[in-house]
Amino acid sequence: MDHELQSFLPIFIYLVLILGFVATVLIASHWIAPRKPTVVKDMPYESGMDPIGDARQHYDIRFYLVAILFLVFDMELLFLYPWTVSAYADQGGVPTGLRNPVFIIMLVFLATLGIAYVYAWKKGVFEWR
Amino acid sequence: MDWLTHPLVAAFLLGVLVLVVVPGVCSYLIFLERKIAAWVQKRHGPNRVGPWGLFQPIADGLKFVLKEQVVPDHVNKILYFAAPSIAVLTTLLAFAVVPFGPTTDRPNEFSWVVAPNVDVGILFIFAIGSLAVYAIILGGWASNNKYSFIGALRSSAQVISYEIPLGMAVLGVLMICGSLNLEKIIHHQAQGFFSWNIWFQPLAFLVFMTAALAENNRLPFDLPECEQELIGGFHTEYSAMKFGMFFLGEYTHMITVSFLLVILFFGGWHFPWIAEMAPQTVGSVAVKFMVLFAKVGVAIVFIMLIRWTLPRFRFDQLMGLAWKVLIPLSLANLLAAMVVKHFGLSLWVLTAANVGLFFVPAWLASQPLGVVRRKVQRLESGELGVVEPLYAD
Repeated sequence: MDHELQSFLPIFIYLVLILGFVATVLIASHWIAPRKPTVVKDMPYESGMDPIGDARQHYDIRFYLVAILFLVFDMELLFLYPWTVSAYADQGGVPTGLRNPVFIIMLVFLATLGIAYVYAWKKGVFEWR
Repeated sequence: MDWLTHPLVAAFLLGVLVLVVVPGVCSYLIFLERKIAAWVQKRHGPNRVGPWGLFQPIADGLKFVLKEQVVPDHVNKILYFAAPSIAVLTTLLAFAVVPFGPTTDRPNEFSWVVAPNVDVGILFIFAIGSLAVYAIILGGWASNNKYSFIGALRSSAQVISYEIPLGMAVLGVLMICGSLNLEKIIHHQAQGFFSWNIWFQPLAFLVFMTAALAENNRLPFDLPECEQELIGGFHTEYSAMKFGMFFLGEYTHMITVSFLLVILFFGGWHFPWIAEMAPQTVGSVAVKFMVLFAKVGVAIVFIMLIRWTLPRFRFDQLMGLAWKVLIPLSLANLLAAMVVKHFGLSLWVLTAANVGLFFVPAWLASQPLGVVRRKVQRLESGELGVVEPLYAD
């Protein structure tokens, strides 16, 4: 196995440890703690009132808009990460001859991001009233 | 003792160490927070259990285990149990690549990280950290309770919004250091006091800290919990140990955030003359530990003091701060870093750019009906745009 992948092995060992920890805590607490259900305890808590209607109702479209916009920006961010690390690295980064074209390309990329941002603002996605 | 230095054995031992220490530290952080809250408000705080209330966390821990586990009838059982597990899993897993002690770039010397030399370092933390939103949204959905549902919706919108400035603010730091690996980021700063990133990226630090507080659902951004309005938000229907797991997740996240602040901006374990890059001896390892923990402690206490200083935001202000302020600022900071690096300017130019980027928009925004604000108002009223709004008010 090459070196890059090998550095991830400890993470898997750690993951197994945490999984064991979480499972132990959940099972042990479930096993130790008392459980005396009554009708009132099993009702949804609404500050002492009897619950009115179902909790799963329609909700505002704005939450969807924010989620969609988040996807756009997060994808852009994912493209930006490899570039920031390699663009001006001392060794093994972008070759010196390519740095000017890469600089221009990234300016255009960020400009595209800016246009999308202004468009979303104009569309009123950031308004919560 | 040769097997002890094998990376996998070391990872196992360090993992066990983290799993033992972090929950204990978390419970004492809750105690510390209650004490700080009390001192800020001129109260005594917990002082009944043991001397100065020092055994309070142990009593709380026992109560988490011994109190009744209410699992209401109306919940979705699988998701209801999955949510607190995810909250603990993601926050603890993100800790895998965080160096919590001295690190070294020499082979054959020991680095205090569970998984040393993971080259995607900070990207791994963000990737795992963004999974934490599942804990909140699943907890809120599975609870089948209106308070939980509203809290979960608000929280997911908040967490995903603040993830963008959080990720964007560190881009400048990454560009200066040329690596995603947290150990290499520390080593880059260990060259001297004035190679700490805080000198060149003060604005990025501000944006990162604000976004990190919001990610962590801490005050002034704790709208998902919002005790007065939502009873507790997404964990309204959780009791006993499952509630404790949400809390463990939150405080572990706070520890990770403090470590990240220190590592990205304040040089990690490095301090001039006291803790330098010299070959590791027992003494220097101890000193580096103390320096790192002192810095992290200051960060944690600072975060706690913020909680008792600033009032909570309104939801539209919260979303406005993320989308209209932090994202443009961090994007501008990235542009500045890019220009400085490309033309080989001194990094102090970046400092000047950062300070300018902070004060010029602040000054413009403070102008009564200034240029920017008038422009924004016209933009929002649709006077400038031909773009139809998506919905009518």
